[in-house]
Parts: sequence; C-alpha cells; structure tokens
Amino acid sequence: MKRKLLTTMLLLWCFALQVDAQTRIIKGKVTNESDGTGIPGVSIIVTGTKTSTQTDASGTYTIAVTGAAAKSLRFTYVGFVAKVVPISGATMNVSLKEDTEALEEIVVTGYTTQRKADNIGSIASISGKAFENKPVQSFDQALGGKAAGVQVTIPNGVLNNPPVIRIRGTNSISLSSYPLIIIDGVATYTGDQSGSSAAGNALSSINPNDIERVEVLKDAAASAIYGSRAANGVIVITTKRGKPGKASVNYDAWVGTVTARGLPDLLDAYQYTDLKNEGLRNAGTYDDSNPDAARRRYFALSNDANGNVINTNWYDYIYRRGTSHSNSISVSGGSQSTNFYISANYTAQKGILTANDYNRKAILAKIDHKEGKIFSFGGKINYSNEENKAATSSGSLNGEAFGTGGLGRLAIVTAPNVAPKNADGTYNVQTPTTIGRGANVGSDVGFYNPLAVLELDRSNNELNHVQSNIYLQANITDWFFVKSTYGIDYIFSDNDNFFNPINGGSAAAGGSASVSFNKGKRWVWTNIAQANRTFGKHDFSLLLGNEQQRSTAFGFGATRTTLSDQAFNQFAAGYATPGNSGSLGENYLVSFFTQFNYNFNKKYYLSANVRQDEYSAFGLENKKGVFYGIGLGWEIANEGFWANAGLDNAFSSFKIRGSYGTVGNTAGLGDFASYTFYSNGLYNGGSTLVPNQTGNFNLGWESSEKLDLGFNFGIMEDRITVEAAYYKNTLEGLIYNVPQVPSAGLPTDPMLNIASMSNKGFEFAINADAVRTNNFSWSPSFNISFNKNKVTSLSEGLTQFITATSSLESANISRVGEPLGMLYAVRTNGVDPASGRRIFIEQATGKNVLYQQVAPAGQFRYTYEDGTEAPSISLSKDGVAYRNTQPKFVGGFDNNFRYKAFDLGLTFTYQLGFYVYYGTNSGLRDQRFWNNSTDMLRRWTAPGQETDIPKIIAGDNVSNGSSFPIDVNVFKGDFLKLRSATFGYTLPASFLNKAKIASARIYVSGNNLWILSDYPGSDPEVSSNGNTSSAPGIDRNSVANGRAFTAGISVKF
Amino acid sequence: MKRNIIYLTLIAACLHSSCKKDLLSPDSKTAVSTLDLAQFSTKERIDAQVLGLYAGIRNGNFYGGRYPVYNEVRADNFIAQSTNAVTAYQTYNFTAGNGAQEVTDFWGSAYNTINRCNLFIEGMTTKGTGIVGDALAKNYIAEAKVLRAIAYYSLLQLYARPYWDGNGSKPGLPIRLTGNSVAGNYDLARSSVADVYAQVIKDLNEAEADLPLSYTAAVNNVIRTHRNTAIAFKTRVYLSMQRYADVITEAEKIVSSSFTATSGVLHALQPDVTAVFKSPYLTTESIFSMPFVSGTETGGGQSALSSYFFGIKLYSLNPQGAIGDPAFTQADKRRSFITISAGLPYLSKFPIGAAQGYSDYVPVIRYAEVLLNLGEARVRSSNAVDPQAIALLNAVHGRSDASTTYTVSNFSSAQALADAFLRERNIEFLGEGLRSPDLLRLGLTIPGKAEVPAVPPTSAQYIWPISGTELLYNKLMTDNN
Repeated sequence: MKRKLLTTMLLLWCFALQVDAQTRIIKGKVTNESDGTGIPGVSIIVTGTKTSTQTDASGTYTIAVTGAAAKSLRFTYVGFVAKVVPISGATMNVSLKEDTEALEEIVVTGYTTQRKADNIGSIASISGKAFENKPVQSFDQALGGKAAGVQVTIPNGVLNNPPVIRIRGTNSISLSSYPLIIIDGVATYTGDQSGSSAAGNALSSINPNDIERVEVLKDAAASAIYGSRAANGVIVITTKRGKPGKASVNYDAWVGTVTARGLPDLLDAYQYTDLKNEGLRNAGTYDDSNPDAARRRYFALSNDANGNVINTNWYDYIYRRGTSHSNSISVSGGSQSTNFYISANYTAQKGILTANDYNRKAILAKIDHKEGKIFSFGGKINYSNEENKAATSSGSLNGEAFGTGGLGRLAIVTAPNVAPKNADGTYNVQTPTTIGRGANVGSDVGFYNPLAVLELDRSNNELNHVQSNIYLQANITDWFFVKSTYGIDYIFSDNDNFFNPINGGSAAAGGSASVSFNKGKRWVWTNIAQANRTFGKHDFSLLLGNEQQRSTAFGFGATRTTLSDQAFNQFAAGYATPGNSGSLGENYLVSFFTQFNYNFNKKYYLSANVRQDEYSAFGLENKKGVFYGIGLGWEIANEGFWANAGLDNAFSSFKIRGSYGTVGNTAGLGDFASYTFYSNGLYNGGSTLVPNQTGNFNLGWESSEKLDLGFNFGIMEDRITVEAAYYKNTLEGLIYNVPQVPSAGLPTDPMLNIASMSNKGFEFAINADAVRTNNFSWSPSFNISFNKNKVTSLSEGLTQFITATSSLESANISRVGEPLGMLYAVRTNGVDPASGRRIFIEQATGKNVLYQQVAPAGQFRYTYEDGTEAPSISLSKDGVAYRNTQPKFVGGFDNNFRYKAFDLGLTFTYQLGFYVYYGTNSGLRDQRFWNNSTDMLRRWTAPGQETDIPKIIAGDNVSNGSSFPIDVNVFKGDFLKLRSATFGYTLPASFLNKAKIASARIYVSGNNLWILSDYPGSDPEVSSNGNTSSAPGIDRNSVANGRAFTAGISVKF
Repeated sequence: MKRNIIYLTLIAACLHSSCKKDLLSPDSKTAVSTLDLAQFSTKERIDAQVLGLYAGIRNGNFYGGRYPVYNEVRADNFIAQSTNAVTAYQTYNFTAGNGAQEVTDFWGSAYNTINRCNLFIEGMTTKGTGIVGDALAKNYIAEAKVLRAIAYYSLLQLYARPYWDGNGSKPGLPIRLTGNSVAGNYDLARSSVADVYAQVIKDLNEAEADLPLSYTAAVNNVIRTHRNTAIAFKTRVYLSMQRYADVITEAEKIVSSSFTATSGVLHALQPDVTAVFKSPYLTTESIFSMPFVSGTETGGGQSALSSYFFGIKLYSLNPQGAIGDPAFTQADKRRSFITISAGLPYLSKFPIGAAQGYSDYVPVIRYAEVLLNLGEARVRSSNAVDPQAIALLNAVHGRSDASTTYTVSNFSSAQALADAFLRERNIEFLGEGLRSPDLLRLGLTIPGKAEVPAVPPTSAQYIWPISGTELLYNKLMTDNN
C-alpha cells in the first residue's frame, strides 16, 4: 500500500513536469449505477500509461491526460465492475455497476465453488438480498417463490414456526422430506427445537441480513456429494464475509405491525343463544322448567355488572396487533490479506397471538486471513440467543390440533355469551378445566377460559445457538490445495412452562410448572484436497474429501405439580409433587467423497460425485452406503456451427445438460431406530422392563434415484436467462413403519425399507434484466414448477395407509398409485330439502343415506331415502381418497422496479392444483355447545328449503364433519399471494454526504398483503401437521396467518 | 515447516477417522437391547419384566381405568356430562365404530400385554430360568399366565358375544401364545368363544398350580397374583360361562364356612367396605388391585376412574340406575360413595383427583365378588332359594346395611334370589366395571339411560365391533355381526 502511494507520488511528479506539453484536464464524477451516489476512492488510470488518480469523498475526480496515446480511462474500485471509457470531452461522468459477480458468475456447490458456466448440476442460486429486512424470524420464511422446484409453505401465524419446505416434491413417507441445510459448510440442526408451546426454528439463529447467498442443490449431479442425506435436496447457505477495501458500516432497522388475517365470522351472543336453543328444541332436550333443576337444559344471555348483555368476541383476547422491530448493524472490510465481517442483530417481534413473542440477539464475526502465498485460515462464530414465548399451546404446531387448550380452537369454540371474568374480577370458571357457564344451564359452554390461560400460563423457550468453524487451507501449488475445516453447531434449548392452578391444563392438579433442557452438540470435521488443472483445452478438477459428523443429545426435565402458594408461578416455588424426564441420543456419520469435473474446450462437460457414508443409526447389517451422481453437459453456443449459423447473435449461451445418480435420505431417522428395545418403568415403586421398540437390523437409508434433463440459455449477453429442466426422482426403500397386526402385540410398528414413490416434474425459470436505463429499470424473474407425486408401493399386501392429525382425525390417506397424503373423506350429497338432514353417500352402494342426530321412536339415525334403516356411515367404510393435497404447480414471480431514487419490489408466490381439508370448518358448524360460524344462519329451518347447512340438532357432531371428515369441508387451495411488497426511496447523495453517509434508503413494505384464492378458511397456505410428509393439506384449528406492515431504513457509512 | 504442518494435519485427520469406528455401533444407555436376550441377563431385569407384565394390565387403556370405565358407561348407571369422543362417549351412546379410539386402543393394549406375557414365558424357558432358578421361574411364568388369562377374558367381554349365545360357538378372539418381537406375517383367524374361554381356564389352572401361596411383602398380596388370585378369577370366568358347578368348586377352595379364605392369602370381607377404597388399599378383601402412586405412577387424566366419575365429572350417576334401587337403602354405608355436586350425583368411590395423580387403586377382583359369585352360582345351579346363597348375600349386603337382613321369605322364587344377587352386585361393584359383563353373561337387555335407548341382546351394539386396524391388517380377521 505504502509502496503504491510512493509510486503514485513519483509518477505525479513526473507528470507535473510535463504538464505543459499537450495536456488536457478531464473532470467528472463516478457514481454507483444502482443508486446514483458518488463513489469515493475509485482508481482512475489512463490506459496504456501510468497516469492515475482517485475520486474524492463525493466521487469527483480530476485527471491530467497527456499525449495522443491517451485513448481511454480505466475506472476500478473494489466491489464494482471495472470500466474502460474512451476519452471524449473535458467532463466524463461515469457510473459503475456493483460487482455482483459473486452471484452471477459462480455457484457454491457445497464443499467448493464452481464457475457458473462450468456447472452442469441443477442448482438455483438466490441472492441474500431476497432475505434482507423482511418481517420474518428466519430466512426460510422468505424463501418461497424464489427458486423453481422449491415449495415453501408457511404453516400458520405462530412466530418462528418452521416452514414446510419441499424440493422437487415430497421425497419421503415416514421420514422427513425436509432438505439438508448446510450453513458455511456445516450441516446444521433444523426443525422446531423448542420444547415448549412456542415454536423455535433452528434456522432462525442466522440473521437473514447476514446471508450472502443461498444455493439449492436439486439433482444428483449437484447433491450426490452429500450422499445419504441428499434425497430431499440440499440448501447451502453462505454468510457474508468482508471484502478488501475501506471498512463499511451497514445499519438496517425496521419497525412493523402484524394482524391476523381472514378469521372466520362467528355468531355473537344473541345468535349463539338462539341457535343453541333451537338445537336443543330440535333435539327435544330443551328444558327450562323441570322441577328437578339439575335436569334443566337451555342457553341464555346474561348481563355484566353494568347491566349490558355479555357479548364476548374471543378474538379480541386471543389475537392482537403485534408490533415488531429489528436492528442490525454490520461492519465489514479488509485488506488484501485479511478480511473481516462483524454483525450484530437485535429483533423483538410480537405475533398475532397474544403473548406469542420472538426475541433474538445475534452476532456473527468472521475473519479470513492469507498468510504468505500458501496458507490461508479463518473462521467464524455465530451466536444467537433467542426467546420463543407463548402463553399456552397455539393448537397449531404439529400434533396440537386437537389439544383442548389450543388457542386457535378456543377462539372459535368458546361461547360468546359468557365473559372471561366475573363481576368481582375473578376468572369465570366452572371447573378447573372449563369456563363458567354464565346463565346457560345444563351444558358446558367452552373448554378452558382463554383469558385465564393467556394471562396466567406461560410456555417459553430459550435457544442458545452457537455455530462456529475454523479452517486452514494450504495452496500447495497454484493448482492444488488442501483444506481442513472444523465446525461446531451447539444448540441449547431451555423450556419454562407454567400451568396455573385456577383453570386450564393443570388446574385440576392444582397447577404445575415444568422445565426442561435439551442440549444438542454437533461437530463436523471436513478435510478436502482439490486439484484444478488445465491442459490445453482440457480442464480438470478433482476433489477428495473425508468428513466426520458427530452429534450428541442430552435432555432432562422436571415437572412439579400442585402449587403450594397460588401467588407464585415459578418452577422454584413450592409444589406438592415432583416429576422428571430425560433423554439421550448420539449419532455418528463418517464419509469419504470425491468429485471430478472435466470439460473439453468449454463445450463438453462431465461431472461425477461419489460419496460413501457410514452412519450409526443404520441397522447392524446395513451401516454403509455408496451414493453417486454423474452429469453431462454440452455448451452449444461454444460450437463453431452455432456461430456459423448466426445463432450466437440470439443466444449468448445455450447449454444442454443431464444427470443421473442415486442419493439417500436419513432425515428424521432416530439414533437407535434399528434396535429392539425393552425400557424401564415403575410398578408400585419397583422397576419394570417392558418391550418398547420393535427393531430391524437391516434398517438403512432411503434411496432416491434422480434423473435430470435440462437446458439453460441466455440471450442478449445473458440479460435474459432461461433455465428449464425435467426431472424424475425414483424413491426406493422408503422407510415405512409397517403396521403389524395389532393382536400381534408389538410395542411399535417396525421400520422397514419397503415402500417406493416417485416425483416427476418440470421446472422453468426466467430471469430478465428487462429494462435498464439511467432513470428506470425493471428486472422480473419468474419461475414455475410442476410436480407429480405417486406412491408406487407400500409394504406387501398393503395398498393404503391413513395418517391422523393430532392422533385423532384421519383425514389423510395414501394409496398406491396416487399421490402421498390425499384427503380422506366421506362423500355427501347436500341437505335434504324435505327434512333438513345431511345426506351422506354410502360408498358400497352409492345410495343416499340421511342422518338425524336424534331419531324419534320408530325411526333410525341413518336411513335410506325410502326410510329403511341404513348402516351407520363411517370413515373406514365410506371414506374415499377424495382429493390431492400436493400442489401441481408452485412458483413465484419477482419484480424489481427502479425509477430514479425510488424502488419497488413485488414478490408473488402461488401454488395451484391442490386441495385443503378445512377441518376447522366442521368445528365451526358443530352442534355441541361450540360456537359456530355465521354460516349457520342459513341453516335448514323449513321443509322445502334449499340450503347447504342441515337442520341444527343439539349434540350433532356428525352432519357437519366433526365425527369424521366429509367432502363438504374440502376446498380448492389454489392461491396467488402478494408475499411481499416493498417501496423504497434512496436519499440523495448530496444530502447524505454532509452527514458522511455513503448511502441511505428508507422503505415501507408489506408481507402477505393480498391473496387471490377461493379458499374459505383464513389461508390455504397452511399445515396443521407441520413438516409431516404424509399429512399435508390439513387446516385443523390452526391460528390464522398474519399480514404485516413494516417501515425501515438502511444506511451505509 | 509449512509442509510438515500439512502432513500433520492430514495424518491427524486419518487417525481421527480410524479411531471413531466404535461410534458407528453405539449401545443405548437408556434402554435394553434384545441382542443375546439381554433382557433376561440378570435377575434384576427378569424381576423388572415380571412387574412390567403387571404394568401392561395397569395401562390406562386397560385396568388403569378405561376398561372398567367402558364396562360401566355402556351400562345403565352413568349419565354423560360430556360429549367428548375421547372419553368414552361413543361407548356410552353405542355409536363406537370399528375405528373408535376405545375400540382400537383397548384391543391393542390387551394384546400388547398378552405379547409381553408370551415373550416372557418363552424367554424364561430359553434363558431366564437359568438365571433365577426353577422355583422362581415357575412362579414368574404362572404370574404371566394369570395376566394373560385376565387379558383374554377382558377382551371377550367387549369384543365377543357372550358364552350363552351358541354355547361359545360364536367368533371369539385370535389366540396368540407365542411371543412376537419383529415384523412378520401375523394373520390369524378368530377362535371360537369357547376356545378362548378354554385357554383362559387352562392358563388359570396352570397358574394355580405354580403361583406362590402368598408373598412376604404384604403389598404384593394385592398388587401381584398368588394362588388365590387364580382361583378367584376362575369363579368370575366360570360364572360368565354359566358353568355354575365349576364356580362352586373353585369358590369353595377359598371360601370357608365363615366366608373367609383359610389357605394362601387369608381373604376376608372387611367390616367396613369403605376401608377397601382407602389408602393403603391393602386389605385382605382386595384380591388383586392395580396400584397407583401419586407423583410417580399417576393415573391418566382421561383414563383414571376418578377422572371420569368424580375428578373431572365426565359422568354423573343415573338416578334410575343402581342408586335408585330400593334395595340400596339410605342407611347403606355404600351411599357414602355418592357425592352431590352442582345438583348431580357423582360416584366418589375413587375420589383422588389430579392433584394426587388419580392414585386410587383400581380393584381387579375383590373377595366380595367371590362370595357373590358363589352365592349366585348356588342359586342358578340348584334353581332353589338356597339358604347358603342368602347367607352369602347377607354377608355382603349386611356389612354395609345392617338394617336389612334377607331371609328365605324375601324371595318368592329362585329367580327372585338370582335377581337380588344381580342387584347387589350392581350396588356393591358400582364403578368397578362389572355391570356390562353381568348383563351380557345373562343375556339381559342393556337398559336405556337419559337419551340413550336400551340395547337388546339381539342388537349389533350389544358388543363392540372389532378393531378397525385389526381388520385392516389381519387378513384372516372377521368383524362382529
């Protein structure tokens, strides 16, 4: 550096001496093409000479040009694309384009990087900008629509709930279909790591603003390097690192609000009271005058202390307007030898559910250093502390749908004619587990008192997550290097739950507190050696690697019940009864892998990956697997005939590629799944030992044979790029918990590698730099993918299986020959206008069967149309595989507009060709004491009336689908969403320079703003069963999704 | 130097990978793997397995509450205060289909216990006997057989037509006597009701021979089975088969002229019935009960008797049921088991709530039942107003209601005396799960209650349907009706 300065000064001296000889002075300003701000420190050199200068703080420069040889100026600055401009005139204003080469020219392939032009695998690259400053907890919530073949579903509005992610379809039946996630080279923990009712996505430890880029590896050529874990695709996240140059400081902040969207309209107190009494009268059980008061049964309004009729809208208590903010600051920079990046983030978010909060404090520090010509080393540490808070179960996470206290359900079930509190300020309770009945007589009118659990209970989780790695690299020759990387991923999950002694889940036991702690520790040690050589027209690269990954888990928990003093609510307070729990796990993966890439003259490409994995969770007889992928590519645009035919004018590149290989899946496989176990318990204080797991020593990985054929081309110097692919995943040996005959008495259904399935589809993506002028630009990108999933076999003799929601409702059925997880429902045929009875269709005969909840003497509950008795309608007898839940088409449409200093970003996502079971609707029409939707106002009341809502009869949980799913509650889920819209304004440089600010942008944005869908529930993008592979498309008692508005600022110093 | 660093790194990497091979086959440190029958490797593990068999019977879906609850709520003594399908509502109103949770879960729970017994009996033969010695092994295997018999008998009460219907010729259960531990083809057809009963009797007879007479720890005389348990249970089984002479033969082994057992555990009626349902639950009247322990072995919130009948008050007592029986006089001490709450009568025989972990013991069989089994068998076998039967009836009734003493003149016929036994059982065993089996074994109509109509013996609803999952996966299985 000093030497350069010295040279420059000497040169300047020389020029100064010659200034009088044919010297011209050229002035101008160098600006950033994207925002028009001046760039300080740009080097300007007169080409072919040693004359040079630099721009000043405002980006302006002056240079003296001497002699006729001076033809042009070369402008260079770190982070921008260098530009050579012919000299013309005395003023030369130049704009430089930010060097986004990192994204456009290379791809991260996992263990290494590759020139994008040389890559023949199916890899989607997404810039970190897609995730910046979004009102999300983790980047994956903003991944939807950004890459072809990637389906992202936000399950509901519970904060930090992991999205459902599917790459090229659902690739497993019993194990997870969630992709492998690699963060800076280390396979990280995924999924919900919270042990409380608040969700805790492991991926939220990464501040989305720290992400440089994300790669999605889809086919065998790209993913086989991850061997036994690649079947669901691989998402490779690269966090930001410092770049040589002056330190730059980025500050990003936003504030926002979020509200629930699309809540169903419910009956108010008056309507509720009328309809429930109508139901009792229709059932013949209305009784307000029985001499035995205990036998009276009716519903009635009551007044509050002020004499007003109690008319409670439970949404007002359970939902709220959440406010959030986020502050991130990063400092990055470096020299030629050492680069650094440090960032800190604090975000506090309040969700749409009362008491559902998310707080994150995170730091990322990263350093890279080159020592001499050979060595480089560096490392990073990412630490996050996250608080995931909830009062109680949302009823919306996997397995919670039918929880009595789920807030999504309490909001719609609880009677509106009772108040949360009594006139004296105490909670309105009937029993420890039910809300007070108000003036209603003879029946419960709700489950838990929502306000009592919201105000008194808590179910909080705290995650401390450390992701760190160090590496040492030795560039032994200019074509050969070795690199050793050691990474850790430690996630510590603390849970703190309290259930109050007044009303709710533990009130009958006098309250309880429980704490638990789970410690997940992982280390990954990767050693690679890579050689890259070119011999004439032959390019070779060979990677050899070894990797070990060791994970251990330890957990313990304690529960204390029966609170001694009701004033307390901490675990450490006094309780009558203790309880405890524990867990332990370990696994080990040791791998060897190699990757070989070759191309001839940049025309013919070959790529081969092989990985051998040995994994501890596989059965004793099946520890080792070898996985591979081979890809071939042909860059036609580099062929002579292409140019001869003049096609090079139209196509700047045109590559045909194909790949084939076999990879595996182990996601979600238990550490000891292959063993047959006996485990301990107690019988009157003595130890018991009982069978608790049915093992299988042949248990192995699930295999995915991937075929991929595609082409990419660019036109107009790649201003428009198009990628298209056809793929087929043939899945064999899928693990299925093969149901054994129940009377065989096995403790669990054993896992066998027995089932098979396929995903076939097309992907198409187009990215365009459609308009680019000084004042206006428009860059749209669009992607669509089509996927067809088919179960091809289950275990021998088994043609279908059912997956229950929350262990209770069997609304998904998977059948051989059809897609996984179809909706399972009984067909109906409307409502009989004469009697107002629900008409079911008996599957065996196709006959109409009319149902009445209460059959008068001599009649039957189920009758055929001729009045004769029909057998009871049941799901097992009359259910059909009714509709597909997996979208046929998913995709996104991104648009970025800029007009002068204004920018507008619009991201649309869509999913088409699928159905959702709106199970919540059956609850909304259930004729037990449950409150109903206003749909019930159009119930059948008089003979001849044509309506879709049957006559209401108290106790009827059959007619509208509570007892078993019916087709009436299945709806098309197709949607188009404006996922995010951002409108920004970049402040003028002239204004900022005074404050020594390099650039600043303010913006407003909206998330989940608008949806086009016929789905009647709050959001067709829903999953009551989380990431469960075989139970998609269920909307059962989930809380709604939120609509968020934010305003923010990004400042760069 | 630099090169050395690289070599060292590479060497370290190789060494590291080679030393970790043992991590590929980790041993569980929390569960016993069945490799080499390790579950039979020590006496402690075998002892623990024996208790594990009992824990199987005590499961929430079985005697841990739900099995007696189903047999109560499907009969006429309870009125549902909840419509929750999870808490037996479909059994209560006779709408439980093949897929109903109770229908599939009780089936699974009972067969899970049967398989535990089968695995245990086989493992003892292969390995366990060598560890604990012949004498103890015989005791343990006998315990497994009693529990297997109880499981099969209990299944018969809900899934099969009563014995009288075709004299046991109706479809019974798949009889499984070998242990299953891995995936396999387990298709097996139903044996006849008579065959299953024969297997139950066979197990009980073999157990009677090999069970200990009593245990040194008094608690085990109640929570584990001994010789008199097998005998007592046989009186119940034979009564269900209407083999009254056999009831008498068995009962007389343990009922002396003073109505006590004189060998083995010295069973006797307690002067105060309420003592039987109080901590420590270890009276000689309790022949076999399921223990619960507050804090560590708690009853389930949706399975414990107390949670249904008293704690959560899911079912109130039917005023037209046993509590409305004129024979259940106001003076009767058993009325202290009735508690009025919010105007409705509830059964407080099992009063311990969630706070103490629903830790009431659940009676499986009591000495009072043996006496009533004997008395009823005498009436029905002799078809006469048998004086000893009346004495037995008085023994049970009179201890709670001194105001009533039955005499021969109270009964106009043998049938009237037999009916009195049924009514006495209804009062005495209220909430203990005997009501539905009593109605079924005699082919009586299940009386209606509240809005639920009566179910005659001809009705398909008289018994449960077969578990839907059993029908789905066992290709030789057939449904009821």
